[in-house]
Amino acid sequence: MATTPNKPAVARKTGASRQRQTTHQGFLTHRNMYWAKLSGGLALVLILLYIFVPLPGTHFGASWLGYTLGTIGALLILWLTMLGMRKRAITPGRWSLKAWTSAHVYLGLLVTVIGTLHSGFYFGWNVHTLAWALMLLVVASGIFGIYAYATLPRALSANRYDEDGAITEKQMIEALRSLDRQIHDAAQPLDAQAAMLVGRSLEQDPFGGRIWNRVTGNYPDCATHSAIVELRALRASRQRTKDDLLGRIEAQLSRKEAMLERLRQHLKLKSWLQAWLFVHVPVTFALIAALSAHVVSVFFYW
Amino acid sequence: MSFVVRQIALKSSGEEIVRSSTYAMREMTVGRDSACAIHLPDLAVNPVHARIAQGADGVLTIIATTDQPFAVDGRSTQQAEIDPAVGGELAFGGHRIAVALDDDGERPVLTVRRVEAVSESAEERDMSAAYSLKGLLPGKRISAWGFALFVLFAFLAFPIYSYATYKPLAMNQDARRPDGIHGDSAWTSGPLSISHKALNNDCQACHTQAFVAVTDNACLTCHTKDAHNHIADKARLVQARGEPAGMAAVQRAVAGAFNRPAGRCVDCHTEHEGAGAMPATQQQFCADCHDGMKGRLPDTKIADAADFGTAHPQFRPTLVRGMDGDKPLFQRVAWGPGLQEDNGLKFTHGQHLSKTNGIAQMVRRMPGQFARSDALACADCHVADSAGARFQPVDMETSCQSCHSLSFDQIGGTFRTLRHGKPEQVVADLRAFYRSTGPVRPANLSGMARRVPGDAARQSTAADYARALRFYPGGAEQAINQVFSKGGMCNDCHVVTRGGTAQTAGFAIAPVAQNDRYFRKGWFDHKAHVQSDCTECHSGAATSNKATDLLVPGIDGKGGCRSCHVGGDGARLASVSVKDPVDSSCAMCHSYHMDAGAPWVPKNDRRKSEGQIAGRQTYRSERDLRQSVAIAERPRFPLKPH
Repeated sequence: MATTPNKPAVARKTGASRQRQTTHQGFLTHRNMYWAKLSGGLALVLILLYIFVPLPGTHFGASWLGYTLGTIGALLILWLTMLGMRKRAITPGRWSLKAWTSAHVYLGLLVTVIGTLHSGFYFGWNVHTLAWALMLLVVASGIFGIYAYATLPRALSANRYDEDGAITEKQMIEALRSLDRQIHDAAQPLDAQAAMLVGRSLEQDPFGGRIWNRVTGNYPDCATHSAIVELRALRASRQRTKDDLLGRIEAQLSRKEAMLERLRQHLKLKSWLQAWLFVHVPVTFALIAALSAHVVSVFFYW
Repeated sequence: MSFVVRQIALKSSGEEIVRSSTYAMREMTVGRDSACAIHLPDLAVNPVHARIAQGADGVLTIIATTDQPFAVDGRSTQQAEIDPAVGGELAFGGHRIAVALDDDGERPVLTVRRVEAVSESAEERDMSAAYSLKGLLPGKRISAWGFALFVLFAFLAFPIYSYATYKPLAMNQDARRPDGIHGDSAWTSGPLSISHKALNNDCQACHTQAFVAVTDNACLTCHTKDAHNHIADKARLVQARGEPAGMAAVQRAVAGAFNRPAGRCVDCHTEHEGAGAMPATQQQFCADCHDGMKGRLPDTKIADAADFGTAHPQFRPTLVRGMDGDKPLFQRVAWGPGLQEDNGLKFTHGQHLSKTNGIAQMVRRMPGQFARSDALACADCHVADSAGARFQPVDMETSCQSCHSLSFDQIGGTFRTLRHGKPEQVVADLRAFYRSTGPVRPANLSGMARRVPGDAARQSTAADYARALRFYPGGAEQAINQVFSKGGMCNDCHVVTRGGTAQTAGFAIAPVAQNDRYFRKGWFDHKAHVQSDCTECHSGAATSNKATDLLVPGIDGKGGCRSCHVGGDGARLASVSVKDPVDSSCAMCHSYHMDAGAPWVPKNDRRKSEGQIAGRQTYRSERDLRQSVAIAERPRFPLKPH
């Protein structure tokens, strides 16, 4: 009898409860940050080696430690590039894509330490420093990508939710189409001048604009916005009638503008999620080219 | 007169719905207004955009009601005529109106069709593309190829092209590439040192062959005469370095495998280290060979050295060990306490620096004439040379003669002195003195002076005078003997023997040799030590009462260099306590290309190394600094081989 009070607790511990908790573990915290610890430890060891191994004070890259670091760094860069091939095959377990991505991220950070130590902090306007700079650029864009992946999806969701629930990308377009149809129908009685303003709003591509507009979410040439402003001015200058057609259209345009605002915010966040790869991937290949030139040049002018 | 208007709408399935209506009128309107016969619900169309009138011949005349035009067969206009029999197409905003005759050939048929969507958003679009950056940025694949090919071209193909173009210039001392951009200059791992600055743009001057490490022959193309010869036998040099151990051995093996042989000039004379002067020799650089070299080269005469503080052999000062005529014979002797050196003089430092004896008393009686007022000081005799590193030989006339006078006669107020350093002149002068002068003529022998009456006294005086006159020159030999013998002015300082010629009356002065540099394999600079008292290092000076005592300090002991100087990294022996240690690497005293000057120091490091040598000493002016070390403008090359 004395043991009964403990029983429920024991039962929960055995997992007999039907409540099950599944927590998503991202690639950053995969395996209790195994790769982060490994990379951090390696970086520390390499820095200590760099400081304490007695070597001739000439070009560090030409010492045995320098050559070793250079070889490891080059192979590591090639392996990191392999993620592009590896990610197309999703597998579970120890060598899962998540594990691979985790290793990619943390070993990618480690490669900056390896590359910089390999340089011996000796920089100039040459192919060697070019390769180093491209490496930093790739890693920096990758760090930005991680930042984007870690923070933006939340903002993306928040943007999609309103009091009526979430809205999908398809629904965003449909909503705009619906609004456009309504505006189109409502605007039929308008005179030529007002109809032209409304027409501009309808004819403007909601996905238009340049990369700059997309990334900043700032569209100074928004036809819907200018239509609202000009219609408002038009309405103010005209005699007020019982049937406030301009007022109704203005209200509909405002609804469209709000919808556009949300779409553009969505596009902005999505562009941030994607844009870094447009640096990360091409510069990686430029880096591999520069790395090849670096290695060949060293042996060429031995 | 009538028109047929067919409005065509599209079902979502794509099927067409045709609504046909007939208007029996001559003229009808086209516009957005629902009152128009042809009603176009299109915001790009005016409420009443145009009128279509049918002429008697059946030709349709279309006239715009406002300034806003419409299109006929793709061309914008305000007015047009269309023969329905021929046909035509009108465009208003997003609508097309095809004009034709009906099947009967009687009435014109206007087929109205919406061709543009109500709005841009209503257009069909690829969702995944629309929400991506497609079209806004160049594709990843194309830019990856573009960047990679650009880099490969600019930094691989172009440099190889440059190399191939100018390869024939290799091994030619005067061949230079023209100014301009050469692809392979992007391969440089750093600028060349100042002495090779002119070659910065000429990679092929040293890198003569692709994938072949820089050869000695490339160096010797220009360095035909001045390539030094530290050790003539290169095999001995490599042997002295010994076999590399540990990771260095691995590197050696890998380098060998990659066609990078050891023992080349560039092993030590590394380049591309930056645009300064060549760097100062590092201690490790020397110790690589000299640490434990006896073990690797048993027949070497050079003692092992690795660090001044802990592993440096005892000094071996060069001492005068006899004379060959006037030339001193030198010999390097290991330093030890009580070491003697005979310079031919009887000078004792202790006696002259004493503060209590007659010498000190004399100084006290002549205030202002000596460096100090209570006794002689070092500076009274020892004067630094122009560089300040060493001292001028002590000069008899300026340093000794004020006390050790060589005067022997006075004429008026002028003293006549014997000629120092010329014993034959001394002898000649003394003989001449006694020959050309005579005893003073007695007053009573001449003139009308008063005298003792009588001839006897006069005869006696005359006889005395005649005898004095007769024997006067003989006094010269006596004087000469006196001067050279004990108690004479020569004998005070010099060792005098009887082995001379008749010219010197049989006397001979032992030759004197003042040693101007004791440490000839190392460098010592007195200027760098001016803050110290002389006796801090020359600690025996005040008490040395033997002329042959060597007062130069050794490495250890009282006044030894290790009293202040520790190893390059501050290492020192446990037995030595140093108050203000001065880190001293090999290059402070030794130079690979040792000559009579100071060890070579890179221009950039001169001030620093200056401070290092001088300890905490600060120089008041740049001139002082320059005087302190004889600064070499370039690495010196040895005047004579080892």
